[in-house]
Amino acid sequence: MTTDLNQFPQLDKTKFEQRGIQLEIGVPVTCAVSIGNYIAAGFGDGTIRIFSSGEKHKTLKAHKGVILCMAKDGDNILTGGDDGYFLKISLNGEINEVTNFGSRWVDHVAAHNGNLVCSSGKVVYYWDKNKKEPKSLNHDSTIGGLAFDAKGRRLAVSRYGGVTVWKKDYSNKWKSTKLDWKGSHNKVSFSPDGKYLVTSMQENVLRCWRLKDKLDFAMSGYGSKVKSFAFIDDTSYLATSGAIDAICWPFDGEGPMGRTPICVPYVGNNQVTFIERFPDEKAIFAGLSDGSVFLSQIENENNTIIIRSFTGSEVSAIVMTDDKSSIFIGDMSGNTLWTSIWDQ
Amino acid sequence: MENKHQVPVTVLTGFLGAGKTTLLNRILTEQHGQKYAVIVNEFGEQGIDNDLVVDADEEVFEMNNGCICCTVRGDLIRILSGLMKRADKLDAIIVETTGLADPAPVAQTFFVDQDVANKTKLDAIVTVADAVHLSSQIEDHHEAEEQIAFGDVILLNKIDLVKDENIDVVTKRIRKINPFAKIIKTTKCGAPLKEILNLDAFSLKRILEVEPDFLESDHDHEHDDDVTSLSFVSDKPLDMEKFQNWFGKLLQTKGQDIMRTKGILDFKGENDRYVFQGVHMLMDASPMGKWPDDKERSSRLVFIGRNLETMNLKEGFEACKSE
Repeated sequence: MTTDLNQFPQLDKTKFEQRGIQLEIGVPVTCAVSIGNYIAAGFGDGTIRIFSSGEKHKTLKAHKGVILCMAKDGDNILTGGDDGYFLKISLNGEINEVTNFGSRWVDHVAAHNGNLVCSSGKVVYYWDKNKKEPKSLNHDSTIGGLAFDAKGRRLAVSRYGGVTVWKKDYSNKWKSTKLDWKGSHNKVSFSPDGKYLVTSMQENVLRCWRLKDKLDFAMSGYGSKVKSFAFIDDTSYLATSGAIDAICWPFDGEGPMGRTPICVPYVGNNQVTFIERFPDEKAIFAGLSDGSVFLSQIENENNTIIIRSFTGSEVSAIVMTDDKSSIFIGDMSGNTLWTSIWDQ
Repeated sequence: MENKHQVPVTVLTGFLGAGKTTLLNRILTEQHGQKYAVIVNEFGEQGIDNDLVVDADEEVFEMNNGCICCTVRGDLIRILSGLMKRADKLDAIIVETTGLADPAPVAQTFFVDQDVANKTKLDAIVTVADAVHLSSQIEDHHEAEEQIAFGDVILLNKIDLVKDENIDVVTKRIRKINPFAKIIKTTKCGAPLKEILNLDAFSLKRILEVEPDFLESDHDHEHDDDVTSLSFVSDKPLDMEKFQNWFGKLLQTKGQDIMRTKGILDFKGENDRYVFQGVHMLMDASPMGKWPDDKERSSRLVFIGRNLETMNLKEGFEACKSE
């Protein structure tokens, strides 16, 4: 019997792994954000690691339990945890408590221009940057996701049965509009041009609303739950996880209705579990269920390079620094890679 | 799938005041060297304080998968996904449901969500029943009856407050509803935890281990709304295609009334035993190795549910026998 060596996973390190810093933290990477040339990553043991080029990474103990969510607020990191704390953390490691809910989890956080929001259970709390006490926005069911639009004027809150879009009117009062669709809606996002709202659902499907006329439609065909999606090159594409290819729906012109998506293929049968945009390019980073990460041009399927090879654990975070010099990758077993993208 | 580490999840149900909180406190305070997380309902009975206690909202929603009775607990998907990100590995998770909740959506959550199914497994449904009040609760509240119907283990609690002959009456009442649950008689829920946790009651292999007693039930056909059980045996091998057609259609159309099913099947022309079990419309089935040499081959099937007598189960099963 002969053995075909090609059937084994490629175990050689990629050039990115060779020149980058790889860590084995041993607890899941749960979230990551970029702040300027820094990357902050949250972990399942409540720690945060801050990476920047040319410096050793910094480790902070922020929460007692899992860091469930993260966002950036100017130069600060916002985190929510299963210890009930909503924290604001500076890049030099100063930790400030925004609030804490005791035994209730802080499931989602977001910020825009100094205004902060978090959700715990069925309630969204909104801190106007000029006020101390938060405003509570109540919902009938638990909140699956939060997102501001690009200008920070509208706040989308996904939940069971659809999305509630909150907006302040001219007298500074909160008004809400409901976009209904049966089922459980999780991650939510406005398109960068503000024309569409997208949610990923408990079923293997995305729901999209065209906001000018509330026309809604499904984007379906996935083999598993769509856990991650990102708008690419402003609103040119919506790239999504949940299949063995990265599924990229065209959102330019008249939008995605009646158009077929571009499927960016990867070798093997692993599901794409995480998608991150490459700012200003029609290109995506795709993380797979086996831990590998690829960079691909959407419109040229032959232009795919491997960034990180197989680790055996599902990719749970990819983020590129704002100056597009470096990326951070993390997975559910706590294997991380921090590397520069460009050859010296 | 087999070698993946899955945290066992025990669903703890039972009527208000039956003793669920007593049991949870025991699980959390006894020195057993194990790490358990407990998911409680915010409107539940008070008095549990521990780092590993998580409040839940019992939010049930329908899946858009064309399955009318496929309701799942959305909050559980969220909480279990969160717990799986913890740095310390849990030995077990216990989900308490409120006294009036139907345990089916909890059980179905473990069949429906991929991530939950990959990282956790439903271990057993444990029902705490109050020996003093169970009979009247069953009469007055269909939920009390359903909780008995779904249970893999039934803790018949507070037996110190009931005369022996009354314990027999209650036990018979339980057996009529659910012939395959293990009944443990306790005072202050004082059963050893190893008889409650980590039972693997939902594994198909386990069905074979408890097989000798899971079909020994006599049933009478009463025409009422009660939850009852019916069981069937055939020494003649079944025709696989006929059985699949009949059983698939049955679960599809009557899945709401059929609460639980279990069975071991002998198909014509197959060397393996087929084992299955279901909760409402959802079913798990697989061949489980050859028939033991010392055992007669036969097919056996148990249904627990409502209106079973209207489903022509006997005729349907008979028609599946091979020519």
